[in-house]
Amino acid sequence: MTAFKKSYNIKRRDFVRAGEASINVQNILKSLNMHHKLIRRIAICGYEGEMNVVMHGGDGILTVEIDTGKIMLDIEDTGDGIENIELAMQKGYSTATEEHREMGFGAGMGLPNMKVNSDILSVESEKGKGTYLHMEFNISAD
Amino acid sequence: MRVFPDTIQSSHYITFDTGICTGCANCIKACPTKAIRLYNDNPTCFSDNCIRCGECLRVCPTGAISTTTYELEALQKDKVSITLISPVLYSQFKGVMPNDILHAVKKIGFHHAMDLSYYIEMFLYAAEEYIAENRITGRSPWPLISPVCPVVIRLIAYQFPNLLPHIMPIMRPMSLLAKEARERISREYKIKRDAVILYHLTPCPAKMVPNRSSFAQENSLVDRTMGIKDVYAQISEQLKRMGKNGIEALREESETQKISGNCLLWGISGGEIAGINSDKTLAVSGLRETIAYLEKIELGLFKDIEYIEFRTCPEGCVGGALNAVDKYIAKNTALKMLRKLGLERLIPHDKVILLYENGWGLSDTTQDELQRIFGVCREHISIEQLQEIEKILEQIQGKNCAACGAPDCRTFAEDVVMGKAVLNDCIKLNKREIDKILEPQ
Repeated sequence: MTAFKKSYNIKRRDFVRAGEASINVQNILKSLNMHHKLIRRIAICGYEGEMNVVMHGGDGILTVEIDTGKIMLDIEDTGDGIENIELAMQKGYSTATEEHREMGFGAGMGLPNMKVNSDILSVESEKGKGTYLHMEFNISAD
Repeated sequence: MRVFPDTIQSSHYITFDTGICTGCANCIKACPTKAIRLYNDNPTCFSDNCIRCGECLRVCPTGAISTTTYELEALQKDKVSITLISPVLYSQFKGVMPNDILHAVKKIGFHHAMDLSYYIEMFLYAAEEYIAENRITGRSPWPLISPVCPVVIRLIAYQFPNLLPHIMPIMRPMSLLAKEARERISREYKIKRDAVILYHLTPCPAKMVPNRSSFAQENSLVDRTMGIKDVYAQISEQLKRMGKNGIEALREESETQKISGNCLLWGISGGEIAGINSDKTLAVSGLRETIAYLEKIELGLFKDIEYIEFRTCPEGCVGGALNAVDKYIAKNTALKMLRKLGLERLIPHDKVILLYENGWGLSDTTQDELQRIFGVCREHISIEQLQEIEKILEQIQGKNCAACGAPDCRTFAEDVVMGKAVLNDCIKLNKREIDKILEPQ
């Protein structure tokens, strides 16, 4: 089986449209009759990732790849980058601005949530250059 | 209006009058589950995919689409007929007291007409109790979703099965009333329970369900449904006649039921959460808005909200597709009547909580059951088919024109892959072929 791959653009500061990519991914997975718990995990990770790009990133791309036995989610952006990845992985740690918090975001649960909901999460980032997230989800796990 | 005598039960929820239909594709595009297609200019609804939201009825510019209904003549054959009144009916007659409307309904041929007020109050108390309990036990995930709108329940089971645990497991007021009414009347008349015929007079397109459809299990408490607009003229006529004879005199001889303002609020979006003592609530109305919110809940949002009231009809049940009066006029009528009736509760809180603690009012339809009833209808595809769909989409480069008879290019591509349509149906693709031929070499 050849892998299915599709990419979606994420626009910086577009809070209204944030989540569109994840909803699209979710709909594809639903049509493939994936287990609903697996879909939920992927949707949550996708959304958290999208929000990170919208808040901190420049423009970004979310790519979903469906392969035998696993689904991969890559989120790449050209934004602020993460200064201290270890800190960012801690629950409640956030670099969100006052404005973000007023909108109800920036609780510092983004990366921790992704960690919990994915089977593999790797974060590559350089301050000022951007961030690359790679997540994997085992299809058999659910 | 197509009428089905009760011996013939159709599995089709909607029927199209092909003589009036212009093939405009409005209904095809409006359908949230993409259940309608135009085949050779003839609209067809796949009833397995239909969630009975009534959106097609609303958007049809020519009135070519109708739901099945019962004729009043059928009433004469019934031993004891009871009609359960949706409180939205009160919003259809400006300035008329609800009790007079009940009386008029009875006069058109029912043995009893029953009001929902008490059961709405019971539901609200029980909902409050469940929310308070859930704060401690965490039995259901936040936000809880109101179980009242039947379309929302179907939408969730069909398209958002992840959210089934969010639905608050309390019976709808109408189900509670139906259960009670059948018990009480069969006892009163000393007849068998199934000799009591329960009608439901409703603005709700989702309730118009022929018995043999896959949704029967969910709706079995009521025997027959009638749309408000289908009997509106008869009720008006009765009200006029009552007016001439002096309503006051009649009121004394007829059985009066206490009706509270809560039931007038019930039909308006936000009316349900207005009766629930939690600050963390939301009321969402309209089909698109409902879908957008459900998608967001699936992404993990709104965890800080305790209860969401969804109504897929715009402005709530006053916007029901089977109402006779425009939703904004109906809303005004209801709000003005509310001022007269007040919001005082008819039944004491403690009594209801006692009932609730005995498990009374908790829905016995389980989430697994809901999933089984609705979830099976969805067709699934393989990864290979998904890739093929993407390839076709690239080839079409379409504009979602719906000229092929499918609502959008993606659905068309799916149909092609599933063998329900041929690629040649795409006008865009054909035009490009013609352009190629006409192009000078």
